[in-house]
Amino acid sequence: MLGPGVAWYVAVAACLFGVGALGVLVRRNPLIVLLSLELMLNGGNLALIALSRHWHNGAGQIFALAVMAVAASEVCVGLGLVVALNRRRLSLDVDTLSELRG
Amino acid sequence: MSGTAMTAGAWLCLLAPLAATVLIALVGTRIPRVAAGWLSTLSTFVAFGGAVWAFLGVHSQHRIAHGCLLSTTSCTDRGELTTAWTWLQAGSFHVGLQLLVDPLSSVMMLIVSGVSALIILYSIGYMDGDDEERRYFAYMSFFVFSMLLLVEGGNLLMLLIGWGLVGLSSYLLIGFWHERPSAVAAAKKAFVMNAFGDATMALAFFVLIAHTHSLAFATDFGVHLSPAAQNLVALGLLGGAVAKSAQIPLQTWLPDAMEGPTPVSALIHAATMVTAGVYLIARAHPLFEQARTVELVAAGTGALTLLVTGLIALVQTDIKRVIAYSTMSQIGYMFLGAGMGAYASGIFHLLTHAFFKALLFMAAGLAIHAVAAEQDIRKLRGVGRLMPYTKWCFLAGALALVGIPPFSGFFSKDSIIASAAALGTWYGWVLWVCGVTGAFLTGLYTFRLWFLVFPGEPSPFVREHFHRHHGREGALTMLVPVGVLAVLATGGGWLQWSAGWHPLTDWLEPAAQTLAVAAPTNTQEYFTSAATVLAGVAGIAVAWAVYAERRLPIPAAPAWRRLLEQKFYFDALYDRLFYAPAAALAASLRREFEEPVVLQTGTDIGDTTLETGGVVRRLQTGLLRTYVLLLAAGAAVVVLAFLIAR
Repeated sequence: MLGPGVAWYVAVAACLFGVGALGVLVRRNPLIVLLSLELMLNGGNLALIALSRHWHNGAGQIFALAVMAVAASEVCVGLGLVVALNRRRLSLDVDTLSELRG
Repeated sequence: MSGTAMTAGAWLCLLAPLAATVLIALVGTRIPRVAAGWLSTLSTFVAFGGAVWAFLGVHSQHRIAHGCLLSTTSCTDRGELTTAWTWLQAGSFHVGLQLLVDPLSSVMMLIVSGVSALIILYSIGYMDGDDEERRYFAYMSFFVFSMLLLVEGGNLLMLLIGWGLVGLSSYLLIGFWHERPSAVAAAKKAFVMNAFGDATMALAFFVLIAHTHSLAFATDFGVHLSPAAQNLVALGLLGGAVAKSAQIPLQTWLPDAMEGPTPVSALIHAATMVTAGVYLIARAHPLFEQARTVELVAAGTGALTLLVTGLIALVQTDIKRVIAYSTMSQIGYMFLGAGMGAYASGIFHLLTHAFFKALLFMAAGLAIHAVAAEQDIRKLRGVGRLMPYTKWCFLAGALALVGIPPFSGFFSKDSIIASAAALGTWYGWVLWVCGVTGAFLTGLYTFRLWFLVFPGEPSPFVREHFHRHHGREGALTMLVPVGVLAVLATGGGWLQWSAGWHPLTDWLEPAAQTLAVAAPTNTQEYFTSAATVLAGVAGIAVAWAVYAERRLPIPAAPAWRRLLEQKFYFDALYDRLFYAPAAALAASLRREFEEPVVLQTGTDIGDTTLETGGVVRRLQTGLLRTYVLLLAAGAAVVVLAFLIAR
């Protein structure tokens, strides 16, 4: 088998996911939060594809395709929300959007 | 040939009124109100035609049976049993949708459909202008159907279905003016008391099914049961008969049933339905003869009822209630006759009673209708001066009721009382004395009513409210049936005179043969007739002296008067015994169980949910990043748990 072992790929995927998660948690600008979400998703995709190749099982690659489709839709909705917020002249800060508080 | 005529006539008779009910119900307001009345009347006349057809069929078969097969007791001389289809089947137990046409049921079919036709015709005039005439006529036709089902039913179950349906139509018609609370209460009372009788009948049927696997009317029906079972079944049937025929102790519903329209009182609560108990005893006579004690109890019940209700009738002030008490008293005579084994006399009195009692109710209805629906006899004084036709028709009915020869009641009532003399035992003589005393009371209460209402100067109330209907005393549809019934009540008794000729007894012989022990000799017959007529005349004379001439004062005796006005405290007793405990139990269950347990449980569940919600809602901060953090922390815990568990 060519290239580095599967553990490296998974480590990179975990790093991507961790960076993304950190971004979601600490940043307050919704655009950056969306960006970080994409990082998390792609970390997941990378792990899926690497393990799919490692186990000689195509299912993981198909999952990755499905995740991409979901990610695309999610970005559409998320960017739509950001545009709507901007139109209403609301501040782009996720912490101020807490109207659903119980 | 005759078999087909009987069957076809019976089905026609049964289904014509049902067809009218369905048609009136379905077309609703698309036909005028008058058309509904005429449709109902026409269907009942068609039913009468069917009954005549069936009767002629039985008649021709009867002749054959009497001519060539006199000695055999084959099935043919009991009439024709037709089965439309087997309706219920459970193992060896079958019940078919059967009609029985035999001498007894053909006579009953004639009485029911004939009198119904006249009374429904009368209703067209009486109910004219009521808001819900179509509903009224649909109910009336439905009643006729149910009553015909009761008398034509070919086994006990069919009889019970008819029995229940007449109870239902009686309920619907008593409560016909449903905006009156008293009418609704009376309807419920009638239904509940009848339901009690229906229940005892159903229990009797269960015993019969358990022992014989059959509900058929066989000649040996009930003969093979053990004596205990025979008595039990007979008592159950007697309970049903007593409830339906308003005999003591289940008599209290009938006076209240007078809340219904007057033609309903005439048809259901005088001429037909309330006499069903007598029909039941005659129909189930093989069983009652096996349980002779129960049969004699039925006779005693009749004797007691005729005395008690005759006494109560003396103090009633509502014209319809006086006639209602008189109805119970006359049904008491029928029970007396049927209970002693003189079935033909009982049925004969049923026939003449249907004529004269329907006549009395309808003549009273004419007076009520002409005087702004007033029923109080103290206000109706002198109405006869303004309504001569009604007055003479009522007098014919009253004389027939008292049993003055040659009016019809004389022939039928005397043969019943003579049967009591024929029994010969002390019990028979007690019944005889009750019957003769009853005749005196009948004369007294009937002519009290007559002298208070019809002769004399019209009271100011009558003068003020009396109105004519197009120059007559009532609509023609009302006057004609009253006239026909007056003729029948006057002359109908000549059908049979026990000391001379007795076609009805002969006719009923194959279906319900009079017991030899209850067949009076001619001496007993003459002697009883003389005593009864004298008692009746004495009653009339006392009524004349007290209420017309006022030579004698009305006896004061306040204790007695109160006893009679309270109807011997039956209503109060039932109220104490049954209603009050039930109401107290319901109230205590509400207080002890429903409010603390049922209601409180619901409230507690609601309160707990609210409280929990109040605590849990604080978790919803609305901050997106908190949720994500918790999610991540949860995932981390799960991963850690997996790692450790491995």
